[in-house]
Parts: sequence; C-alpha cells; structure tokens
Amino acid sequence: MLRCTSVSDSSVMDPKEYQALQHYLNEYGQQIEFLGQQFQILEQGRFEAQASIETISGLSPAAETSVLLQIGSGVSVRAKILDPDKILIAIGADVVIEKTGADAIDYLNERITEMEASAKNVAGSIEKIRIQMNEISKRLEEVDANNPSGT
Amino acid sequence: MNSIPPKIQNQINMLQQIQQQLQNILHQKNQYEIAAKETRRATEEIEPVNEDTVIFMSVGTIMVQKKRDDVIKDLSDKAETLDLRIKSLEKQEKALQSRFEQLQGQIKLALEGKPPAE
Repeated sequence: MLRCTSVSDSSVMDPKEYQALQHYLNEYGQQIEFLGQQFQILEQGRFEAQASIETISGLSPAAETSVLLQIGSGVSVRAKILDPDKILIAIGADVVIEKTGADAIDYLNERITEMEASAKNVAGSIEKIRIQMNEISKRLEEVDANNPSGT
Repeated sequence: MNSIPPKIQNQINMLQQIQQQLQNILHQKNQYEIAAKETRRATEEIEPVNEDTVIFMSVGTIMVQKKRDDVIKDLSDKAETLDLRIKSLEKQEKALQSRFEQLQGQIKLALEGKPPAE
C-alpha cells in the first residue's frame, strides 16, 4: 500500500489517485494512437492529391501517344486518353463531376489546403496530449522511485 | 473485501449494457453525420456549375450520367433521410443517457447503503 497523500511531498500518493493517473495515461495513449492514424490518413490524402495534380499536368502530351493502364498484379494495357482536358473527379456522396484540367487542379489544391489545416490541428492535439502524458509519467516515476517495492 | 450484492451487480451489468448501446448509437450517429456533411458538400460543389456539366452518380456498382438538377434532387433527398436518421438516433441517445444517469444514481445510493428515492 502506498503511503497516504501529503500535498507537500510529491513522492507519496493515494493509491486511488495512482490508479487514476495510470488510467489517464492509458486513455491518452489510445487517443494519441487514434489521432496518429487520423494524421496518417490526412497525409496520405495530401500525397495522393499532389500525385493526381502531377498526373493531370502531364496528361496533355500523353494524349498524342498511348499510356499504360494498370489493371493490377503489375499488368498493364495500352490505352489512349480521349480528351486530356476532361477530368472526372469524385466529390463524395457517390457523385463524380467532370471538370477541366485547370479546374480539377484548383479543386485538388483546395482539398490539399484543407487537409494541411486539419493535419496541423491533429498534430497540435497530439502534442498537447503528449505533454500531459509526460507530466503524468514523470509523476508516476517519482512515486515509483520512492516506493521501489511497489507496495 | 465485501462482495457486491446480486441486485447491485445486476444493475451494474445493465449499466454496462446501456453504456455499450450508447457507444454504438454515438458511432452510428457519427457515421450518418459524416455522410450528411459529405452530401451537403457535394451539393454545394454541383449547384454553381452549368446545367450541361457532365455528372455521374453511383447506381449500384456502376456510375450513371445524370442531369445536374436530378443529382441535386437526389442529394437533397439523401441529406433529408440522413437528417431524419440522425434525429432518431439523438432521441435514442437522450433516452439511454437519462436511463444511464438514473441507474448510476441508484447504484451509487445502494452502494452507500441508502434506499433509492423513488
């Protein structure tokens, strides 16, 4: 049993408080994991949008020749782009809209800006939680160090 | 350590069940809210374009070309349905939340050895 809490002594803690801090630590850990996944999704979306912009920009010269259309397992067929300035974009809710190349690039750039802003927010939240976790860990380590037997 | 009386244990089990139901409802509500937001956003994207703009909409496993106004109508209907589902889930959430708090109060009183104030 840990000694009873004394406000002035940081090395002692009520066992219930100790358990609560451990619980918070686990909760925060789970939150960081979840937010980390969100961050990855946003980053992936951003890279994908950038790759699409690069593709749209490179479509015009490709119209004069054939391109390779990947059909999976490393297999491709030759394909011809009928109109490189007609881009079809999925805008969500099972809707696809046709845009010109320039409009499609604008649309993707807007999405990139939004994803960057969201990623920044998520990173900020992760950082805040990490700071709180560090404080709790430090507090628990102090208590553990003064109660080496763990009793 | 004293063991928990069966009646209270039963109430605790019920509380856990309600909590699980609440989580399921919240998850479902969240999914519908995301879908509703996406639908509104798609509508906002389509509204300003010309009537002759090529738009496809998913029908089963294929994409079918549709007129702009028809797509807007479909999306508006979809958003309306989603809003109704969200409202229905909110009602369920409220009822469960109230049941949860009531049961929590009863358990607390029982553990403190006080009779429930009914």
